Amino acid sequence: MLRIRNLKCYYGRIMAVKGVSLSVKHGQIIALIGANGSGKSTLLESICGLLPDWKGDITFEETPLKGLDPPAVVKLGISLVPEGRLVFPPISVLDNLKLGAYTMYRKRRHGEVSRTLEKILELFPILKQRAKQPAGTLSGGEQQMLAIGRALMSHPKLLLLDEPSMGLAPLIVEKIFHTLETLRNEGITILLVEQNAQAALQIADFGYVFETGNIVLQGPATELLEDQEVKRAYLGKDYGEFYDDGR
Amino acid sequence: MMTADNFTFMNSDEKNQLQLERLQSTLNRAYRNIPFHRQRFKKMGIDLSGIESLAHISTLPLMMRQDISDNYPYDLFAVPLRDIVRIHTSPGTTQNPTVSGYTPQDLTNWQTILARGLAACGVTAHDILQITLSPGLSNWGRDYKYGAEHLEAGVIPHTPMSIEKKLMVLRDYKTSVLVTTPSSALQLADYIRKNEININALELKTLILTGEAVDDIQKQTLEKAFHAAVWAHYGLSEVPGPAIAFECDAHKGLHVNEDHFLPEIIDPETGMVLPDGQPGELVLTTLTTRAFPLIRFRTGDQATIIRTGCACGRTFCRIDWRGGRTDSLINIDGVKVHKKQIQRSIQDQLHLPSDASRFFIKKRDEKKYIEVWIPVNDDIFSDEIKDLETLILKVENNLLENIGIPVVIRLKEKKSI
Repeated sequence: MLRIRNLKCYYGRIMAVKGVSLSVKHGQIIALIGANGSGKSTLLESICGLLPDWKGDITFEETPLKGLDPPAVVKLGISLVPEGRLVFPPISVLDNLKLGAYTMYRKRRHGEVSRTLEKILELFPILKQRAKQPAGTLSGGEQQMLAIGRALMSHPKLLLLDEPSMGLAPLIVEKIFHTLETLRNEGITILLVEQNAQAALQIADFGYVFETGNIVLQGPATELLEDQEVKRAYLGKDYGEFYDDGR
Repeated sequence: MMTADNFTFMNSDEKNQLQLERLQSTLNRAYRNIPFHRQRFKKMGIDLSGIESLAHISTLPLMMRQDISDNYPYDLFAVPLRDIVRIHTSPGTTQNPTVSGYTPQDLTNWQTILARGLAACGVTAHDILQITLSPGLSNWGRDYKYGAEHLEAGVIPHTPMSIEKKLMVLRDYKTSVLVTTPSSALQLADYIRKNEININALELKTLILTGEAVDDIQKQTLEKAFHAAVWAHYGLSEVPGPAIAFECDAHKGLHVNEDHFLPEIIDPETGMVLPDGQPGELVLTTLTTRAFPLIRFRTGDQATIIRTGCACGRTFCRIDWRGGRTDSLINIDGVKVHKKQIQRSIQDQLHLPSDASRFFIKKRDEKKYIEVWIPVNDDIFSDEIKDLETLILKVENNLLENIGIPVVIRLKEKKSI
């Protein structure tokens, strides 16, 4: 569905993503895990057209994404849930959601928008309760749900999520990730960027491990969860558990 | 999700993407974790982000058996020793034995590779599979065992036994699949013929030959002798294991497990990659190996790559492998040895100059062995025959223990050599 070959992203003269190739297959949750600054978010930004300066090939359902601006990418069926949610605090929850459907309004598909809205409010009942409240008054978890809901308004085939668990309590993370599984089961493909490797790999089908702009490992998520190297680096296991000699 | 066996039928575009992804992460891991590779890449000014296609691999340096020896025992491991769950050692062909390590994931991969290779020969849960290999290939015996068990076949694991006993097990245990080397199979066929054993008393239907290449005449001989179908497997006896390539029912070359290995054919003289269809030396790069990755490893095996479609539908490329070598290694019953190893051993024991002895590959009852002619000098010579016999026995035993193949020593007058 989405295929990336030799992606190189630059911030000025610094290469942040150093020739990454990966593929996302239809109906799967793909997790990109790795430490802060390893280039995961940069990769998402280049898919969405937010980062103009990249080299390599990104194709979505055979369409090259090179040179497309964010609205064009959304139109193809890709939606991003950005890091830190980025909801619009002063406006209401409902209006925030409606903003996610701006491409649909332009096509004058109002009926469809309200049906989607219904569905999203069903998926996140808390948003229905808070529909009229300004988005800024929501808790972190609720804002994350709103950000996901907003991204779903454009009927994406591929949903990109950047650190959805950031700053959230474990129980809330579990709830949100459960929602992602539901979405996958409904046929939406998900590319999930996460530092919380444990949570991400538990719901993912396949994973890629990032390190300083490179992919160093890939495999089925169940395999990566069991991998000693991954456990050591990303699953918060103590080195003492691995080395008897305290290395 | 894609299961392992869907890989064998993936289209070339998908295969290319999968191989590129795996190659890039293998190289990144090797650079990060193995000083040998990092130093070489740095010295040659190689920027790994420039490896943008499978063909770009030709810009990377080749790896030799000597490199494995130089980094003995663990310096080519890409994971800490704590992650290793199995360590194999094989005699190797250089000064040091070859040591390879496996993570749990590596073992699972090998199991999948072997199961795939066996399934292609028609092995199922209804089969009884007997493994008999030479002692130098006992690592392979283990791999075949796990692979066959993965298919839920009944396995009679590899155990050293006499030819009579082998045949008894073959008959009484109703073995339907025999995994062995062509030399051992020919030896068994010869024994059956000489002893007028009724072949119809055997349930054998599949003969899987590994370790050495099998030519058409040998294949026909064996098919006739055992009333069984013959299949070939290709592997590396040093690293990392058997069934890297396997025959399908079209029997037109061996399919390389391209989801785990990237094959290239090079000119052994210049090291340049040769176009498809031209014979040369087979070079392999591992794509999924975690503990002991090989990057452009020169196998010394002569082969040709066939990339045209196969009647079986598998999209993995094939190799035409006839057993020729591009180096001076000798293949005896699947175990590869270098003359130098034998020379060195003899030199250490008898204090002879290394180039003094001569080597012959001989056959007795279809069993291959190496005969070494050693010039007798004053140090070795004794007027007691018993002393000379003891000396010969000592050297022969030492070679068998260290190299894992039978060697017969003949003491000769210096001028006859």
